[in-house]
Amino acid sequence: MKRSVIWAIAQKDMKMITSNLQIWLPMIILPLMLGVVLPTALLIALKSSDLSSVKGIETFLNVVNQLPSGALQDKFDTLPTTNHKLIYLLTNYTLAPIFLLIPVMVCSLVAANSFVGEKERRTLESLLFAPVTVKELFVAKVLAALLPALALTLATFLIYGVIVDALTYSLFGGLIFPNWNWVVLILWVVPAISLCTILISVLISARVKGFQEAQQLAGVIVLPVVALVVGQGTGLLFLTPLLMGVIGAVLYAVCAVVLPRIAKLNDRELLFERQVH
Amino acid sequence: MIVAEGVQKSFQGRTILSDMSFGVKEGEIVGLLGPNGAGKTTTVRLLNGVIRPDAGTIRVGGLDPVTEGDPVRAMSGILTEGAGLYHEMSAVENLRFFAKLYGVKRADSRIHDLLRQFDLQAHRDKAVGQFSTGMKKRLGLAKALLHEPKLLFLDEPTNGLDPDGIREVMGYLKELNREFGTTILLCSHVLHQIEEVCTRYVFLDGGRVIEDGTLAEIEAKYLRTVTLRVETDLIVAGGQYAGYEAVRQEQAVEFALPSKDVIPGLLRQILQEASVYTAEIVNRDLETLYFQVRREHQ
Repeated sequence: MKRSVIWAIAQKDMKMITSNLQIWLPMIILPLMLGVVLPTALLIALKSSDLSSVKGIETFLNVVNQLPSGALQDKFDTLPTTNHKLIYLLTNYTLAPIFLLIPVMVCSLVAANSFVGEKERRTLESLLFAPVTVKELFVAKVLAALLPALALTLATFLIYGVIVDALTYSLFGGLIFPNWNWVVLILWVVPAISLCTILISVLISARVKGFQEAQQLAGVIVLPVVALVVGQGTGLLFLTPLLMGVIGAVLYAVCAVVLPRIAKLNDRELLFERQVH
Repeated sequence: MIVAEGVQKSFQGRTILSDMSFGVKEGEIVGLLGPNGAGKTTTVRLLNGVIRPDAGTIRVGGLDPVTEGDPVRAMSGILTEGAGLYHEMSAVENLRFFAKLYGVKRADSRIHDLLRQFDLQAHRDKAVGQFSTGMKKRLGLAKALLHEPKLLFLDEPTNGLDPDGIREVMGYLKELNREFGTTILLCSHVLHQIEEVCTRYVFLDGGRVIEDGTLAEIEAKYLRTVTLRVETDLIVAGGQYAGYEAVRQEQAVEFALPSKDVIPGLLRQILQEASVYTAEIVNRDLETLYFQVRREHQ
């Protein structure tokens, strides 16, 4: 595999993202809304209101009190007021799945565009006529989606962290973010879910005709993540670092299952006959 | 340089090449001619190893494009019909990108030379999407030549070019061939444009090679009646002159002759009774021969 070739294609693809409004606009807006605007607004609202007088807060507290004893329960016992508890829960748990949603969205957008886009622009032919192996092409396409996804997620994570700690420092007298959950999430689960999304998208892209279709199908991957967000939001699912580790491992396993299917596409003729014309 | 023997290829149950055999020697400029759907583009794809033949053998530069595709593609340059350029990127960005794929050394000076050669310097930073068809073709050609290929494949290189552009491109191909000995395989169905550059022709029809040779060879084989157009004030009566069929057409008379050999005698005879300004065989151009070859192979 020639690194210079892989990098040339990946670089070209990443540059192309910026020239396609249909792609970069949602890529910027979603992380900005979910990772910056939403938490800021929520934190400001929570800090300025007395939650113990809010109706229905008992139900919430009941849920919290029924948590299995462990690190989270211990932590909760140390927090003095409902506001503290709610803010801690929100910043460290409820909003966490946003950081799964961002890489999934970025990856499915970019990956769906990368193969189908070459076909629609009739440039895939040029790539297949060049002394570039199909493997190099695939690796380049995966990198072109993976790198922006990881970069954007990490950037959002850092901004989110600064906002959370800045807004809660005075209340807690210390930093409440991040905890171990986040370390596992960002370093283990985010790359796993990104890779998984890309591989599935590539598989889809190689079979469909247009960009829109590829994106719609790729939406199938977003749905489970949305389910996870809803689950997390209702407080039914409290992820522990261990559980996160398991989820990451499952995702890597899915990648390992998808990879041989993609390897079957690793054939110039097949790719050419399906994609060019 | 290129050897194809008994090559067969079908796609989705449709036979595209039934039995194709031809060869191209190093330094030749060969025109691959045939109507749309004759299998020209498929042939180019097979020779580059991007698709595989169902049967037959192919060698390009001594290599098998199926098993040694990357070396074959590395020594070949190609201009596809759609040019295959990135429309969002500028001319220079496109060339830089492809230079990296082909591993071109000292790419910047090569790109600079090619842009100047194809008269695209003024548009070097403009997005290719805004280019005219002719400009895209020229840039596509520059892309094909980036790595100074030994072998050049051109699929309909003159489509979308204006007469000036065609002449320039054809002139450039000739020069390239003369200076660097680049072997060129050129697919086209616009025959009069390539007549001047090709050293040899391969006629493709219905997935087979129906004729193969230089213009002189094909002419000797297929030109059975010579149509001689003589610009003269000769008076022709009864559609006959000196025993040959003769038709007056405004300033000229067209004679249907059995061979070239009778021309000097005929002209001498005309000159004794009238003036002759020009005389020209009008049915030995590539296009006429092409139709003649196809008619006889139907």
